[in-house]
Amino acid sequence: MNGHCNGKLNDGFSELIIDSKKSAAHRKHETSRKEAEDMSRLPALEAAYTSILSELGEDTDRQGLLRTPLRAAKAMQFLTKGYHETVEDILNNAIFDEDHDEMVIVKDIDMFSLCEHHLVPFFGKVHIGYIPNKKVVGLSKLARIVEIFSRRLQVQERLTKQIAVGILEALQPKGVAVVIEATHMCMVMRGVQKMNSRTVTSTMLGVYLEDPKTREEFLTLSQRV
Amino acid sequence: MDHSKQTQYSSNEKKDAGASSSVLNGHFDGMVKRPAGGTGRAAASQPPGAESSSHRPAASVMESWREERTRSVEDNEMSLPSLAAAYTTILRGLGEDPQRQGLLKTPWRAATAMQFFTKGYQEKIIDVLNDAIFDEDHDEMVIVKDIDMFSMCEHHLVPIFGRVHIGYLPNKRVLGLSKLARIVEIYSRRLQVQERLTKQIAVAITEALQPTGVGVVIEATHMCMVMRGVQKMNSKTVTSTMLGVFREDPKTRDEFLTLIRS
Repeated sequence: MNGHCNGKLNDGFSELIIDSKKSAAHRKHETSRKEAEDMSRLPALEAAYTSILSELGEDTDRQGLLRTPLRAAKAMQFLTKGYHETVEDILNNAIFDEDHDEMVIVKDIDMFSLCEHHLVPFFGKVHIGYIPNKKVVGLSKLARIVEIFSRRLQVQERLTKQIAVGILEALQPKGVAVVIEATHMCMVMRGVQKMNSRTVTSTMLGVYLEDPKTREEFLTLSQRV
Repeated sequence: MDHSKQTQYSSNEKKDAGASSSVLNGHFDGMVKRPAGGTGRAAASQPPGAESSSHRPAASVMESWREERTRSVEDNEMSLPSLAAAYTTILRGLGEDPQRQGLLKTPWRAATAMQFFTKGYQEKIIDVLNDAIFDEDHDEMVIVKDIDMFSMCEHHLVPIFGRVHIGYLPNKRVLGLSKLARIVEIYSRRLQVQERLTKQIAVAITEALQPTGVGVVIEATHMCMVMRGVQKMNSKTVTSTMLGVFREDPKTRDEFLTLIRS
């Protein structure tokens, strides 16, 4: 569920490929939600939101709140639409054979996700770098992979790893690096209430993990404004 | 609940004090207009109140800004189980497994978080303000700007956040500065519409102090526009309310707007 990665990524690149093949079977069942089911689930979600509104002390009959349960339910379904998408679906046509083995970086990808602990948004930027191994991917597909995994109930650490492993399994590149820098509304709007704090997580796979110079090049290029 | 009489509170309104009517989370009829050099509370014959409960008629309109609380701490505790149950339903409806480790206590955390985001319903202006109004012989503009504001969109239940800039011209009475930020907190921690929030803050300050004028500007980002729907990352919504001399005198308004920009 939600692609818990059980591969031991620190043990070397070749073991990683074996592990990822094992989990490929799991990935077919990753779509826990079908798009067609969304409509049928809406009434239950609406009822839940109506109950939430009245428990919070609001008047569900006032003009501004009349259709809020429906809107909130649809919004929540949109914000978790990653559950009915898989990497295979969006990538299948956009992998090309290119004789290129230099680093490719797509940075400053805006990312919006939901904290699975408080159901409150967290958002930020994703920087992705990979070194192709004769296969390059359409650039927007990297952003689409981010979308698939971020539009779910997430934990930032898991999100970073899922994006990296998703690219790894699709392309088998020499290395993948993903850095996410995000602001968590659960820390800003409530709780400890630190306005300016940001959380940075990263996943380095393959040659990015083994070679510090490669990693440094990626970090320099992705942080440069 | 005279929604039919509700008029748009635009900045082109005429100067007459409008008839006040019932209020719903601060829906207003008519205008708030304080004559310059107000004559005190007696002049507040028809202040639109900032009530948040629809169950109260506007009978005690004069005191209405003092009575906004619809929720108590005990209510919070009692509603927690049903809120948590609603969130469990939502998790299931989204296709997630509420029993997995990361989601086990999420319904309670989300319920408590949502109660925190709407804690403005538990608070009254009068509790926050009563002892912090001071008599000062000061009649120059006072501005508190860049007050961080966090609210919830009442249409999608998704956060709104931004900054509030408040300016007022005292009329012999000044307010403790943090109380301006507390007024913002009371009204923003609710299910809100940015236009209404701006007006409620301005009216609360007006009713508490009877200043010569009040100006409130809010600049906010709406997650409902950024995370979903039209998905415009960098868009901001700016609303403002100018009351009293801020509305009548363009120079005063200019001074306020210039000072909050710098």
